Amino acid sequence: MDDYTVSVLTNIGLISFIALSAYLLIIAGEMSFGQQGFFGVGAYTAGVATAMYGVPLPIAAVMAMGAGAAAAFLVGLPTLRLRGLYFAMATLAAAEMLRIVFELIHFQREIDGEPIGPDGTQGFRGIRWVFENGVEPEGFLAMVWGLLFAVVALFLFMERSKLGATLRMLGEDPELARMLGVHVERFKLGVAAAAGALAALGGALYAHHNTYIEPRNFDIMLGVHSLAYALIGGLGTAFGPLLGVLIDIGALEGSRVFHGYRMIVFGGLVAVLLIFRPRGLLDERVVHWLKRRLA
Amino acid sequence: MIFDLIQNTFDGLAMGASYALLAVGFTLVFGVLRRVNLSYGPAIMIGCYAATWVSLSFHSNVFALLGITILGSVLAGTYVERLCFAPHRQGSAIAAMVASFALWMQFEEAVTLVMPKHLYDFPPMFDGDPLAFGPLSLRAEALVMLSCALAICFALHRMLYRSRFGLAVRAVIDAPLAAQLAGINVPRVLLLVFLLASGIGGLAGWLIASTHTQVTPMLGMWSTLKGLLAMMIGGLGSLPGAVIGGLALGVLEAHSQWFLGPQARDLIAYLLMFVLLAWWPRWMTTQSAS
Repeated sequence: MDDYTVSVLTNIGLISFIALSAYLLIIAGEMSFGQQGFFGVGAYTAGVATAMYGVPLPIAAVMAMGAGAAAAFLVGLPTLRLRGLYFAMATLAAAEMLRIVFELIHFQREIDGEPIGPDGTQGFRGIRWVFENGVEPEGFLAMVWGLLFAVVALFLFMERSKLGATLRMLGEDPELARMLGVHVERFKLGVAAAAGALAALGGALYAHHNTYIEPRNFDIMLGVHSLAYALIGGLGTAFGPLLGVLIDIGALEGSRVFHGYRMIVFGGLVAVLLIFRPRGLLDERVVHWLKRRLA
Repeated sequence: MIFDLIQNTFDGLAMGASYALLAVGFTLVFGVLRRVNLSYGPAIMIGCYAATWVSLSFHSNVFALLGITILGSVLAGTYVERLCFAPHRQGSAIAAMVASFALWMQFEEAVTLVMPKHLYDFPPMFDGDPLAFGPLSLRAEALVMLSCALAICFALHRMLYRSRFGLAVRAVIDAPLAAQLAGINVPRVLLLVFLLASGIGGLAGWLIASTHTQVTPMLGMWSTLKGLLAMMIGGLGSLPGAVIGGLALGVLEAHSQWFLGPQARDLIAYLLMFVLLAWWPRWMTTQSAS
């Protein structure tokens, strides 16, 4: 594989984490416009841990997930009882606040004679753990996709279990779920924290792939893209968000056919698909049909 | 010190007048459709870019550009309404919001494809210095903008309560099904309200561009976010609230920028939006355009 292909495939894997995080919240009945904030929390936490304190990446990734879950929990506490548009706008405000906080953080340490660490709007460069530890781009690609497959396997397993059924019931009708004895608020907070951890894991890997992050990377564009990936890919299965990412980054950006027109093509695709397939290409009906075919 | 405070308040009110105008258009759509149109700002930007292109090609009068800006915004608004709001009228409000974001991406890329420079000059409304009141100064554009915001708010109020069209709009807000059965063409009323809001947005865009004498691709996101914030501070869906919310946002921003810097200014604005939504939801739901 040439470098460009490896880079595109790695990017598809990285963005899939935040798309899956948006998907998890959608099937629980909440549309978040703020998952990019937790992606950013993960990127900054893991970057600080490896580049400034010499923590190995696997441990830093776990720390990032913890930070992402904690941030999502705190944002979820006051917002999860809001419905629809109000939740969407509150999460958007929360993520923009996080982005501005990244702009305000100036926290650097002298390492080998050069200052390393987040420097406000100047960004955070020198997150070089992957290179310093001799991981080849192909090796990193395998790591990203290995983790992604583990997450997707977890999703598939969950959706077959009672937990998955509860999750979808919550998305369809929270009052019904409440009457059947589900502790709705506690359950939703758990889901929000899990989605935050998932986005943060993606962010941690993203920071180490790019070696440079800046607050602008975590703006509303990223958040709405991740929602759009889940919505056009399909809400019937965890493969849906992956399909969405594949269509946008793989087919539109990777092929270079639509160079300069990618946003116009993708934007039109999203708007039209939302009319004709409101629950995406791989919606529940298609997934059910496929399962019967395969069985 | 006291002059600084007063001057900052003046500057805040001048900025707030543009927020108020943006918020009035935003609120009109939200109050009637109960939908958030994220493409509101980008459609305004299309109008401003169309006017910039005309002024670069033909050296036209700055007031002729007003017509072009409004026309451009209304055409872009028609596209948004047909693709994002008409199909989701019965469906999910969030689907419409995401679809309107998708068109935002289209508008932004289209604009940078046709006019790739980062910044274009826009002709100013008036030449000359700001008006001086002793040691204080205020730009004449700010007064024009504030009068426009108040006049439009008043005119919309008259239209809603004194005209047959306004009666139809209020009927559609209160009981869409009953309105339909009474012979009101509901989709047409909604389209007209949407286009009216786009036209107000176009006027706001022209005033803002000629005050700042420039247009950039950031204008779209800026207009949407400021309009949204001002609308929420004023209470969702209330027209006088939108004007007051816009002015309040402007004054708040001017003072927080003076004391704490530009990043803190934006942080405080979002914090206010978050707190209002999370802890004061009744503020957001009791208001209505009628």
